[in-house]
Amino acid sequence: MVRLQPDPFLNELTNMFERTTEKGSVWVTLKHSSDKSKVQRNKMKTCGEKIEYRCLVRATDGKKTISTLVGPKDHQRFQASYATILKARMTALRKRERKDKRKAADSDKKEDSKIRSTASKTTN
Amino acid sequence: MVYITSWDDFVEKSVQLFRADPEKTRYGMKYRHCDGKLVLKVTDDRECIKFKTDQAQDAKKMEKLNNIFFTLMARGPEGNIVSRDYFTNQLIYPMQMSPFIYLFLVNRDV
Repeated sequence: MVRLQPDPFLNELTNMFERTTEKGSVWVTLKHSSDKSKVQRNKMKTCGEKIEYRCLVRATDGKKTISTLVGPKDHQRFQASYATILKARMTALRKRERKDKRKAADSDKKEDSKIRSTASKTTN
Repeated sequence: MVYITSWDDFVEKSVQLFRADPEKTRYGMKYRHCDGKLVLKVTDDRECIKFKTDQAQDAKKMEKLNNIFFTLMARGPEGNIVSRDYFTNQLIYPMQMSPFIYLFLVNRDV
């Protein structure tokens, strides 16, 4: 698990997407974390110290894992860059072809059912 | 694994899950370019909800959900709804919670 700063993390994430174009997956996980163990957190609670939380972002391609912590001040810039990467890379998803195909299929089905109902009426 | 078909239901439940247990809830995304599939998963290690799609329009909706989660997780949930008592490890339900969230939480094994 490699812990990086937000900007190198984004670069490495882009590389991951590039590598898995033909084969493989990219997993990205977000978690609310203080980066401290439970023992430390409980100690801080009893002392009355305020625990600082950040957003832990992890990414893996099944072989290599990278992670970064994003604080409240830089999270907006990070999420903007992250959104840009996703928009640029997630191009394999289908665009709205299905709706048009469905409409054509539905109209065909309706015609078929009408024909069948009229046929059954004539036979009966 | 519970797959949810409605996007709005998925968003609502995932925010509920996070607000209920911000320490444990995590939001994961898996993207396969070769299959053109996207799967989103939100879990707090007790319950799990998933959403899968191959539509480009859902990727745009996912971006908005990403923004919600980044804000929630970086800044902290606005008012931790359910907290745990440190000594007894019991969930403390504040009185201000809306009743339907109680219904949602009652099924969990605490």
